[in-house]
Amino acid sequence: MREDLKAGATFPDVKLLDHSGNVRSLSELAGGDPVVVHFYRGWFCPKERRFFAGLLELQAEAEVAYSRIVSISVEPPEVQAAYRAGLGARWTFLSDEHRVYVEELELLEAADTVHRPFLPTVFTLYPDLRICRAYGGNWYWGRPTLEELRADMRTISKEIRSDWEPSGK
Amino acid sequence: MRWCWFGLAEDVSEDAFASAAARDLQGEPAGYLAAWDPDAGHPKGTARISGAVIDPSGPEMAVSLVLPPSGVQVLFDDPAVVAATQAVYERPGVSFVTTLTTDPVHFGGAVTGTTAPWPGWWSDDPFERIFPARRLLVEPGLFNAVAPPAGPVHQRYAGLPWPAEGFE
Repeated sequence: MREDLKAGATFPDVKLLDHSGNVRSLSELAGGDPVVVHFYRGWFCPKERRFFAGLLELQAEAEVAYSRIVSISVEPPEVQAAYRAGLGARWTFLSDEHRVYVEELELLEAADTVHRPFLPTVFTLYPDLRICRAYGGNWYWGRPTLEELRADMRTISKEIRSDWEPSGK
Repeated sequence: MRWCWFGLAEDVSEDAFASAAARDLQGEPAGYLAAWDPDAGHPKGTARISGAVIDPSGPEMAVSLVLPPSGVQVLFDDPAVVAATQAVYERPGVSFVTTLTTDPVHFGGAVTGTTAPWPGWWSDDPFERIFPARRLLVEPGLFNAVAPPAGPVHQRYAGLPWPAEGFE
């Protein structure tokens, strides 16, 4: 992972095709909310399938908690669209099919010479794309638990929501 | 512009900043769809619509217009409305989608559009499960193609029409 992708730094505003073929930027997808950005290997990986099962659980909370999820892989949009539909995911997938960001962000999993995918990595971001926390998931236990993601979403939301503790008057 | 007023009128409205004639699927005139500036007061019979989908230079659109029958109200938090917004995230191919709001708590209808004729969703607009839908062909000058909502949020932002984003 590129050395500057640490807590407090600003994550690059990546611009890629989404699963429907629309050009989307990360800042646009954040839309003023906290974001979980999830780089994954691909549909073929059993570790990813297990991690997605967790994200689907988080989805049920994110959709009522003004929080976003973005999943990014090197798969083409049509493959992502099929995978997303099969999962039942309702967040946006981005395709780095031409492997622009996998190199720029130094997130290439060199050991997988067949797929040359992203190293499994998760970032939690503020709406302005500042990094709250970064998780390297090359080993499965390096990935964030749902509790850690919830804690990060709470940390970010508490900071950005001016009415976090309303007066009730 | 995060939102503006939107409505269906029998005649052209001079004070609307964007409007276009609509026809039904038999080609019969179906009135005019129009948008009014949010600062222009609340024109009678209009609802709030996401400002992102309105464009006076936008293309012709095929539209599914869902409006509540007179005297009928459904809360935006009704599970039927939530399920319809969730269904939007699951179907590709529309050029824009927006709900309508008449106040901070009630579902005021929805507008879904596409530049492609007769897409799959045409026969199954998720919002049509809540209220009846009218299928209209709308001339250029009103609607804009925008990227689909990012997901997975289905909540409104402080009473804005979903998927208009951000708290004020």
